[in-house]
Amino acid sequence: MGSYLYRLYRGFQGEILAVPGRVIALIFVTLLFLLPHIIPHPLVLKIFSLAALFAIFAASWDFLSGFTGQLNLGHALFFGVSAYSAALLNVHLGVPPWATIPIGAIAGVIAGLLVGIPALRLRGFYLALVTLAFPIILIGVIFVFPDITGGELGLFGVDRLSGSRVLDYYIILLVATASILVMWKLTDGRSKIVRTGVILHAIREDEITARASGINTVRYKLMVFSISGFFAGVAGGLYAHYIRIAGPSILELFFSFQPIIWTIFGGIVTIYGAVAGVFILYPLVELVRLHPVGEIYRIVLMVLILIVVLLFMPQGITRWVRDHIEEICPRCKLINIRTRRYCRACRAPLRAEK
Amino acid sequence: MSRQVKVMLAVVAMLVVLMPVLVACPPVVEEVPTIRIGIIGPMKFTVGEHTWWGAQMAADEINAAGGVNVGGVMHQIELFKADSNELLSVVDAVSAMERLITVDEVDFVIGGARTEAVLAKQEVMADHGVIFINVGSAHPEQCMRLAADYERYRYFFRGAAVVNSRYLGKMIFALVDMVAGEIRQELGIETPKVAIMMEKAVWTDPIVAAAQAKLPKMGMEVVGVWRPSPIAADVTAELTAIKDAGAHIIMTAYLGPVGVTASRQWGELEIPAAKVGINTDAQSKRHWVATGGKVEWEVTFNFIGPVEITPKTIPFYTRFLERFGDFPYYSAGVYDSIYLLKEAIERAGTLETYAVIDELKKTDFLGVGGRVVFTGIDSPYPHDLVWGPGYITGLGIQWRDGELVVVWPDGRAVLGDKAWEGIRFEGTVDYKLPPWMVEFWKGRQ
Repeated sequence: MGSYLYRLYRGFQGEILAVPGRVIALIFVTLLFLLPHIIPHPLVLKIFSLAALFAIFAASWDFLSGFTGQLNLGHALFFGVSAYSAALLNVHLGVPPWATIPIGAIAGVIAGLLVGIPALRLRGFYLALVTLAFPIILIGVIFVFPDITGGELGLFGVDRLSGSRVLDYYIILLVATASILVMWKLTDGRSKIVRTGVILHAIREDEITARASGINTVRYKLMVFSISGFFAGVAGGLYAHYIRIAGPSILELFFSFQPIIWTIFGGIVTIYGAVAGVFILYPLVELVRLHPVGEIYRIVLMVLILIVVLLFMPQGITRWVRDHIEEICPRCKLINIRTRRYCRACRAPLRAEK
Repeated sequence: MSRQVKVMLAVVAMLVVLMPVLVACPPVVEEVPTIRIGIIGPMKFTVGEHTWWGAQMAADEINAAGGVNVGGVMHQIELFKADSNELLSVVDAVSAMERLITVDEVDFVIGGARTEAVLAKQEVMADHGVIFINVGSAHPEQCMRLAADYERYRYFFRGAAVVNSRYLGKMIFALVDMVAGEIRQELGIETPKVAIMMEKAVWTDPIVAAAQAKLPKMGMEVVGVWRPSPIAADVTAELTAIKDAGAHIIMTAYLGPVGVTASRQWGELEIPAAKVGINTDAQSKRHWVATGGKVEWEVTFNFIGPVEITPKTIPFYTRFLERFGDFPYYSAGVYDSIYLLKEAIERAGTLETYAVIDELKKTDFLGVGGRVVFTGIDSPYPHDLVWGPGYITGLGIQWRDGELVVVWPDGRAVLGDKAWEGIRFEGTVDYKLPPWMVEFWKGRQ
């Protein structure tokens, strides 16, 4: 037992504490879990609850569009299908949230497949334009059956996740943490357990070569659409039970563009970049609203921040930070803190000697 | 060291010693208790702007008159502005509501525009138990929720001037009926032909269906339905087709920018058909400028106009126009809501939520938009406005020479309802057909 704990500690020390980016992530997650005790203000809890569920949404977009290059401009479809499914089941049949959210996520998977199958024939801008159309089609469907879907009002009176704000926050945060960890692990190109990461990278970089190497790209692309749909669906289900309404506004164009903005800001093809993008931009814009002047200029401020980031950190803010605090060993590819001169494992020099 | 320098040093030393004491002691200012009212709306849009202006006017007037008497203590009204951005994002609307209640710690919230957002805000209201008076969204569902779960949603009231959309439909048909009557009388056309031209949006679908069913029963003939996009920049094809169909009336329903396009091109082409219905943009003074005056002779509904709905209407209308340079419309609802809230607080003698709700329920208030009475809890629409003769009625307004004149209620029965007979506010003028239309049709007889 003692040796097991020691090995666990050594693993933790080597995999987490020695990598600055992971230390920051650990501190960040710890702070998020302590937030209700540090700042128990209802508005702060609401902002960070929404940020957590939007983080799942943004990460699921990065999983699909970042990692496989399948540019999806209508990601709100998965979110909306799930939110509506959860709300329909809850409002009309009285199904509780613990069941509606997974069912909503499965509806997201089905939506992912429905988009994914025709998308196999398309690439680039053509795919982007087709995906853009799907949420608009769904809005049309919603308006055709107003008795069931609530039409332009949406479905309201959806049950709360739990009886308390703090519990709501912890439920969303736990689900978000688990979802993001799964997506991150699935896309981890260095993982020895799950090999999908490296395959997804290969498909994005050169699909024909990947196919020539024996990778069933059709299967992987459909899988990515489904998984992305699942996690966007998880976010949609949580949203319906948190805001307590599923309305057509979640299928509007703006809603589809939000995860793209967050991900590009944070750093595309990373998963954690999308999460960081949401947790920086969303609370920032909301906190700026507290000031009367900020209320007026918050969108201008957001655009300015985005322009600055795109100009000086084109790879996103997380990549920029990592580039300044981490150094990858040229020999063994292990991540080291940038202050080190020699690799912590193989002792190879991290930078060329002057 | 000279004596002067010593004195100066002594003074400086004393100031340094006394500084913390001076800073620690705040100046003696008589603290005036305040009532904190949150004003929520899409502030970057005309709806929100007018909501805020109406609130500012009411608060300034009440404060200048001494404030609100709460159990013998005078309170000043303090307004808190929240941009809900609800026309674009329901999430923003919910956050703005939460901020007003938890950060600004307002006692009451007034505002609202988009139905979906108002429904979401009702949840925040109910969670925190704060009175919310909606002055922008007219959907009946918001009050039906009170009938279903009164305990949870009892904090909600549909504020002054914004009537339930069920009555809105009735008003539009009354306006069309008025225009048809004029056509029969002046042009001698017994069965006026109506073109239904409403923006392609969900909210207009039931109006289109109702119009197709109802207009023939009202002695009119429907010649066709045209549904331009709410953001259409050109409706020449529709208007030309309407002219070719021989329509005498164009029944409209626009919330989007197509309202400006349709008004401008209708006037430019001098389409020989009277335009009547809903065109929210045409309620603003800016519409005259945006259409280059081509909106002249168009009729749209409104809740406030330059007539004596009550003795308060004209003074409010004039003051508002002087101060903000625009005709009031959404502003009237929030203005009246603040006043009726003031009265309810004064009757209750406290700011305690349930006591104020009890007093709001008893409201019988003569505002700038009419007499405000709320429906009871046994109604299918609790805390809604009572609509009809003697209460809030709404108005039909017509553009003439850059001004809005009121043409309805015109003292006649409305769709066979004799209770409307004699309801005609002082300052109301008779409706007039567009002169080019009269010329066109008289030439054909």
